[in-house]
Amino acid sequence: MKKDKVFRLPRSLVYACSGSLLFILTWAWAVRTENSLGISDFSTGWVLFFVIAFLALFGARKRLSFLPLGSASRWFKIHITGGYMAVFMFWLHTGEVWPSSFYGQLLTLLFYAISISGVIGLLMETVFPSQLTHTKMEVIYERIPKELAEIRNEVEALVEECAKENASSVLAQHYLETLRWYFQRTRFFMSNVCGSEKPQHWVHQQCIILERFLNEKERKYLNKVYLLAEKKRKIDFHYSLQKMLKTWLLIHIPLAGAVMAMVFWHLIVIQVYFV
Amino acid sequence: MKTFVRPKRWDQPFGSLMTDLDVERLLAVPEISAVEESKFPSHCSLKGILKNDTRIVKYSAGDIVIREGDYGNSAFLVLDGSLKVVLFPGLPKEILGRTTVKKKTFWQALKQFWGQHKFPEVRDIKKSRDESLVREGQEPGVVRVFLQDVPAVLDQNKTASLEKGALFGELAALGRTPRTATIFAEKDAELLEIRWQGLRELRKYDQGWRRLINERYRKNALTAHLQATSIFSHLNDDDLKEVAGSTLFETHGQFDWHLTYNKLQSQDKAIGSKDEPFIARQGDYPDGVLLVRGGFARVSIDRGNGQQTITYLGAGDFYGVDEIFRAWQGAVNVSMRVTISAIGYAEVLRVPSKIIEKHLFQYWTDKKKKVRTSRKNLNKKSKRLQDLIDQTLSDGALLEWAVGERLVNGTQAMLINLDSCVRCDDCVSACAAAHEGNPRFIRHGKTFENWMVANACMHCADPVCMIGCPTGAIHRSMSGGMVIINDDTCIGCETCANSCPYSNIRMVGIRDNEGYSITDPQNQKPILKATKCDLCADQVTGPACVYACPQDAMKRVNFQETGFDEERQGF
Repeated sequence: MKKDKVFRLPRSLVYACSGSLLFILTWAWAVRTENSLGISDFSTGWVLFFVIAFLALFGARKRLSFLPLGSASRWFKIHITGGYMAVFMFWLHTGEVWPSSFYGQLLTLLFYAISISGVIGLLMETVFPSQLTHTKMEVIYERIPKELAEIRNEVEALVEECAKENASSVLAQHYLETLRWYFQRTRFFMSNVCGSEKPQHWVHQQCIILERFLNEKERKYLNKVYLLAEKKRKIDFHYSLQKMLKTWLLIHIPLAGAVMAMVFWHLIVIQVYFV
Repeated sequence: MKTFVRPKRWDQPFGSLMTDLDVERLLAVPEISAVEESKFPSHCSLKGILKNDTRIVKYSAGDIVIREGDYGNSAFLVLDGSLKVVLFPGLPKEILGRTTVKKKTFWQALKQFWGQHKFPEVRDIKKSRDESLVREGQEPGVVRVFLQDVPAVLDQNKTASLEKGALFGELAALGRTPRTATIFAEKDAELLEIRWQGLRELRKYDQGWRRLINERYRKNALTAHLQATSIFSHLNDDDLKEVAGSTLFETHGQFDWHLTYNKLQSQDKAIGSKDEPFIARQGDYPDGVLLVRGGFARVSIDRGNGQQTITYLGAGDFYGVDEIFRAWQGAVNVSMRVTISAIGYAEVLRVPSKIIEKHLFQYWTDKKKKVRTSRKNLNKKSKRLQDLIDQTLSDGALLEWAVGERLVNGTQAMLINLDSCVRCDDCVSACAAAHEGNPRFIRHGKTFENWMVANACMHCADPVCMIGCPTGAIHRSMSGGMVIINDDTCIGCETCANSCPYSNIRMVGIRDNEGYSITDPQNQKPILKATKCDLCADQVTGPACVYACPQDAMKRVNFQETGFDEERQGF
């Protein structure tokens, strides 16, 4: 079993090699067509069309999870390889980075947008999971509002209890003036996405500035509030990153639909007027 | 300071309806009247056992008492009536209330795309009612699976009779092994059901019961178990008999370990080897080879003020050959290199050193060629053990965690690599698509570093969820070995869900085609069904969750076969 592992090429390398080979063959075909005074745009265009159509099928595969159409992970790897290959195939087909016609420009713009969104999405899917893991807590995205509400209730109960027990309103006032804003809903979205330590500093700072105004008993309450604020900060972090991981697809998929629609129209026009 | 009356063992008797009159009646039964009452200590009197660890149960003709393949924690003594043991060829699964899982064809799989119900957990109640295999028992609130055509069963199967005074089910109850045969009531019968704790005390304090159970165990189960162990596989029947005759039986820990485990988990307390009963301690003289017959045992070494887990032993594994072999070769001051403790519950066979020397080492010496290979293997195992002992704390941390959380019980645990998982929930959606629109797991669970064991049925090696199911609806599939639930015979009693130490079984309310909740006409309470991961036994793709994960972040793993301890078999 171990020997098999040693001699088995990494699957992603196999896909990358296959993609490169397909591109080289298409290129060779295009060169050969040009050399025999043919129009290579047709050959490269059809290959590009099939590659884009295959990329779009990944969405359908996700909905047909109960059919033996190959595992989603295999499809995903092929999707990534196909995505990179499509960019090079696009340049091979158009022969330029930015076309001159309006329709061409619109199609190119959408194609670049979908490609860039794909690369950004892939980057996020590579980087964000381990960052989420490092928080040492897991939270299901849909449960975040409930978790936040629970923390908020807990903090408010602590603040109230502290005020009653110590007959002092310092913590309660600070909560109303500053901390309530923080506990109301998720905060520091962009800071979390960019990996900034701003939220951590903010939480720490808001507790530090209060400390010298509190007695020993109140400080115990403040510590508890701080722990809850830290927990909330981690949930915010999860919210921001998970939101990004979920919403980039909301850009990528509609763009894919738009590109496919424009490609079909392009194909019809070519078939009707040029063939 | 708050005070709390310390809970006692018999605070919750087995049968709530047992009276002193019943106990007096039982004391007149020959099998019990032969028991020497004086041998029992005052804190565990015979009368106490009868009142608290037993119950009188009545079965109507045709009722199934135990089913082949069930896990049970009690034995039965026939007080009245007549029972039949089905010997050959055995009852079909459908009659036993089991389900036959068939893989869908490609077209059936495709049909799921448009054939899904609009609402989750929709059931065809008419079909369930027509094919019902369960009926009310003689006691209130008791449900029994019954045979609809007893004469046909008797015609088609070779059977044996169990009459008044017969004891059965004791080996499965004490050994935590599946029942080996189906027994049903031929005529109305009255049985004394003895839970395993009571059976253990009877075996401990009464010579007659001990002899009876031990003899049956040696005759029916021990020889086969020894023969299946690699170190005894070369022995002939006579030698095996001798080994079996000298073998000592030991049970360590609690049979219902999941109750303690659940309690500690609810208090967020970690379970370490210090909380576990010791089987053998580091530094002790090795007096025999320890064979694990059931449950799991932790192998640990002393480190600082604590114990470091280096590996664990499961059913079929053994420990001690290396130490005894070194002592036999003349090494001085040979002692146990490790401590072995029961992880919750372990059933151990102790084969004395003398027997090992006679039947194993002597055999190796006689067969010179064999001895070279065997010694080589032994040296390899010894080195492997030394490597485990020498491992760093961080190297062994994952195993320490898996053992502490009792995850080693899982044969199909859902392991997620959180460094790859993008939290897209495609796995959850795929699971829902394959199961009545409701996922059978939660993508949440215990984590260690970047690993998460999600709340999905692990199809345990020691499935405590199967103990106590009144209709045998939850059972182990004979074909795939996975633990599955027959929805038609599940009565929604929640026994399995409450027993599962990992909270991986969920009760769901069922609906009709219009989406209305189905309720019990007597009390208007919703009808519940137990649901859990069935490894997509009927899907062509295998587990839909794994198949749908685009990141390859999810795997179903057998903890006993994972990389961290791949050569664990015996030392």
